[in-house]
Amino acid sequence: MWEQSDREIIQEVLNGNKDLFAVLVARYEKPIFNYVYGLVRQKQDAEDLTQEAFVKAFFALKTYKDSFEFSTWMYRIARNVCLDYFRRQKIRSFFSLNTPVGEEEEDEFGDFLPEGKDPEEGVLKEELLERVSQAVGQLPLKFREVIVLRYVEELSYEEIARILDVPVGTVKTYLHRAKAKLRELLGEEFS
Amino acid sequence: MEERLEQYLQRLPKVEPGRSLAPSVMARIAERERPSYRRYKRWVVVFGAAVLFVLMLTTNLPLTPRLELFGYRTVRLVFCSTVRNPKTVAVAGDFSDWESIPMERIDENCFALTLRLRPGKYEYGFLVDGKWVPDPLSLRAVADGFGSVNSVLVVDGDTE
Repeated sequence: MWEQSDREIIQEVLNGNKDLFAVLVARYEKPIFNYVYGLVRQKQDAEDLTQEAFVKAFFALKTYKDSFEFSTWMYRIARNVCLDYFRRQKIRSFFSLNTPVGEEEEDEFGDFLPEGKDPEEGVLKEELLERVSQAVGQLPLKFREVIVLRYVEELSYEEIARILDVPVGTVKTYLHRAKAKLRELLGEEFS
Repeated sequence: MEERLEQYLQRLPKVEPGRSLAPSVMARIAERERPSYRRYKRWVVVFGAAVLFVLMLTTNLPLTPRLELFGYRTVRLVFCSTVRNPKTVAVAGDFSDWESIPMERIDENCFALTLRLRPGKYEYGFLVDGKWVPDPLSLRAVADGFGSVNSVLVVDGDTE
């Protein structure tokens, strides 16, 4: 089945077929939500901020330039919405070592079954994965977002650099430093 | 160990929104596309209140509630007759439901009465030996509909 490209849809929306924007939302809501969730770590807030990002994108659609992929542009908008959220909430402490993990988050880990035939080993891995995820939540924002974009969103260095508006070298530096910080947080099992 | 951390990072769970966000997004867009007054109603109210506040502070427009209009005022009515030595003088007005209230003689020709009235405008007159006489000291009078006139008393301190 033929599928309209992002650019075609955007053009139609700009021509007045506003309802078609819902197609773009449906197309990108999962990756954007994942990214936002990776930053704010609260499902309800992540849903709200993701919606807000799409609304902002709709009203800024005239300023969208073809030089970026729509997805990259969306990530940038979502990032700004999240930064506004952090400023508003004044929760810099969010990045402190006391970030709680919500019940929902724990449930989601419950669905994850790591590879490995030994059930005991599997449980150990699951606990370890949860610790890794919690440690990611404790990283400073700039480190956390490169981890999320690289490992959760599976984006290339170049894409991450475009979203963060920094050179590729900076992305690699952030990733390196983020992993060093993670090893520090996770202790001897990863050091 | 580097590899081990990589493996775990690659397995970080992907979280999905609990529902499709498209309907909510489109509803928000529709909400924000409403006429600007409705969208900014709150700001219109705040702006209006700010303008009113500034006007209250900087102008003499009657914008502030006049607390002095509440409560009673003491008004002293004095009537000095041109007829020598009248026997009775009373006052009647809408403040007394047009019932006559005898006035107190203060000298040979003058009578006085102290009333407690709320601020406002009242019509009244004197009954001098039973004859209706408008207040000669009042500057304002209105026809009473019976061929005579009533005086007008404005209670904010002065009798007109």
